[in-house]
Amino acid sequence: MSALIIFVLLTFLMLSGMPVSISLGLTVLTFLFAFTNTPLEAVALKLFTGIEKFEIMAIPFFILAGNFLTHGGVAKRMIYFATSMVGHLRGGLGLSSVFACALFAAVSGSSPATVVAIGSILLPAMVRAGYPKKFGVGVIASSGGLGILIPPSIVMVMYAVSTNSSIGALFMAGVVPGLLLALFLGFTTWYVAKKGNYPREQPRSWSERWDSFRKAIWGLLLIVVVMGGIYSGLFTPTEAAAMSAVYAFFIAVFVYKDLGMKDVPRVLLNSANMSAMLLYIITNAVLFSFILTNEQIPQGIADWLTNSGVGVIGFLIAVNILLLVMGSFMEPSSIILITAPILFPIAMKLGIDPIHFGVMITVNMEIGMITPPVGLNLYVASGVAKMGLTDCSKAVWPWLVTMLVFLMVITYVPAVSTWLPKTLGMM
Amino acid sequence: MKYLDHLEEWIITFLIGAATLIIFVSVMHRYAAGVSIPGVQDWLISLNLSWAQELCIIMFVWMAKFGAAYGVRTGIHVGVDVLINSLSGRIRAKFIVFGLLAGALFTGIIGTLGAHFVWENGAHYAFFSTLGIAVKDMYPGPTTPDLEWPTWIVYSAIPLGSYLMCFRFLQVTRSFIRTGELPHHDHGHVDGIEEGAVSVEVNPYQMDDDLHPRDLKYGKRHPESKVSAGGTAADKGEQK
Repeated sequence: MSALIIFVLLTFLMLSGMPVSISLGLTVLTFLFAFTNTPLEAVALKLFTGIEKFEIMAIPFFILAGNFLTHGGVAKRMIYFATSMVGHLRGGLGLSSVFACALFAAVSGSSPATVVAIGSILLPAMVRAGYPKKFGVGVIASSGGLGILIPPSIVMVMYAVSTNSSIGALFMAGVVPGLLLALFLGFTTWYVAKKGNYPREQPRSWSERWDSFRKAIWGLLLIVVVMGGIYSGLFTPTEAAAMSAVYAFFIAVFVYKDLGMKDVPRVLLNSANMSAMLLYIITNAVLFSFILTNEQIPQGIADWLTNSGVGVIGFLIAVNILLLVMGSFMEPSSIILITAPILFPIAMKLGIDPIHFGVMITVNMEIGMITPPVGLNLYVASGVAKMGLTDCSKAVWPWLVTMLVFLMVITYVPAVSTWLPKTLGMM
Repeated sequence: MKYLDHLEEWIITFLIGAATLIIFVSVMHRYAAGVSIPGVQDWLISLNLSWAQELCIIMFVWMAKFGAAYGVRTGIHVGVDVLINSLSGRIRAKFIVFGLLAGALFTGIIGTLGAHFVWENGAHYAFFSTLGIAVKDMYPGPTTPDLEWPTWIVYSAIPLGSYLMCFRFLQVTRSFIRTGELPHHDHGHVDGIEEGAVSVEVNPYQMDDDLHPRDLKYGKRHPESKVSAGGTAADKGEQK
């Protein structure tokens, strides 16, 4: 009964368009005030202690690191490197887009920014080279989301924080699926290009390739700093995030020289703005999961599910459908923070691996970025391409289908996600 | 008002920058102290930076509270606006005002609860003892584990940040009712993209098609916004 009240209230408040964080908080307050005797001071305290965890602080650091490198100059280096490596294949600029998006998204940590940065350079180039605009929009909007899966990923930190999983193991688990998805998307791109007989670029010499690699590598080493630091045990994930922020600052200001010292306060302010928004959702989500646990709602659902005889396969399908539907209306971070505390205990009860479950949720979030009506990547892609949202949604469908196939693979072959962290002894 | 705006920006910029630096220095210190350089090593070991982590958390919580208030002003707090965007201008405007006032209500309540909590856990004691008033039955409040700061100072981020946020919500509501404009945050903003390639200034929220939420919230130049500002039915003729 209380579960019903909570969810009806939350749904109503959310659909009225107020910020997700506020609707979570108001749901909790209303519920506590009207139906329980929990002292309200405990709520105010939770607002502070809810984010008093050092692991959560990785989020502002990763955002800061990403923002230092979210720059047109970095995008150009990635594109230059990508085109010199795969540009000579059929549909070369399309394949380069997938490659460049994967690199830039991993470093910048923001899907919409990736679509804008890569799209505004490669899209006009593709149109000039004779590719249909629709093809370009489809490739870039869908590959822009790759950053969610390839570490460092903020969405994964969110999952790790709300389920107490290991950030390091999750990051490691994202590597193979991330590369595999890039391969899947690349294959679809190549296939569409082959069917449409799209042009290819001049092959580049190896010295050119080396040169472009040397320019791109400084940005890419960010991933090495994070992953190497965590894996070798030099840093905790939060420290690795802080180190990567300092590294990104150093690279952006002194090596790439895209930013001057005078730009730094602006980058800091933007990152603080973004992080504060996410941290505010986290605090309210902590409150929300506090009443969920208090009312024993996840346990209730878990008991009901196990008694009704729904197995692992059925549960995973249901989770995928739920997340895909939510993904077309909400932002990834909010979805994870709301659903993870409910779904995670059930998944544990059914014996699903926590890391595998996390990767699966992350892939769902990635698909949510390109499904209308609220697909952030579609919005920005339609802005960059000056194309209607309906046309953009139609343009992404070959890649959307590819991603759905990929989701099935991830869902039912746990080894894809768990093999690397297991081999490295991280889980 | 301008001073408050600048102060808010200055505080959160400083907090995120300083927190990064502190963690960087403490990690560097941990490894540098292991290298045997005569003289320097002893000095490094004598430095105790175990408080860095706690300070970083405190700074980020403060940043989160004040940054959230700043975020109201920049329009970064997003909600699920698909449904209300499909409503007609006047009703939608009412929902938007409802949402903003709900935000003000929530932050106001939290601010008050937080203020009460801070007062009971040390602020009362601290103020009275500084003023020289008898404090015999009062609770001096706990301190933080590493820095040993009184927690009421640390926790005062909740009332201060929440009241500021409440104020920002009311401010945005007022300007929305008067002008029909809401602050809008551009999630796809990237620096250093050349002019002329493709303009990134295009507002996707104004795209003319069915699937698109024709958005009052973000569309500054959108004709529909006039309706909410007390326009008449004649304005609706301009709507898409």
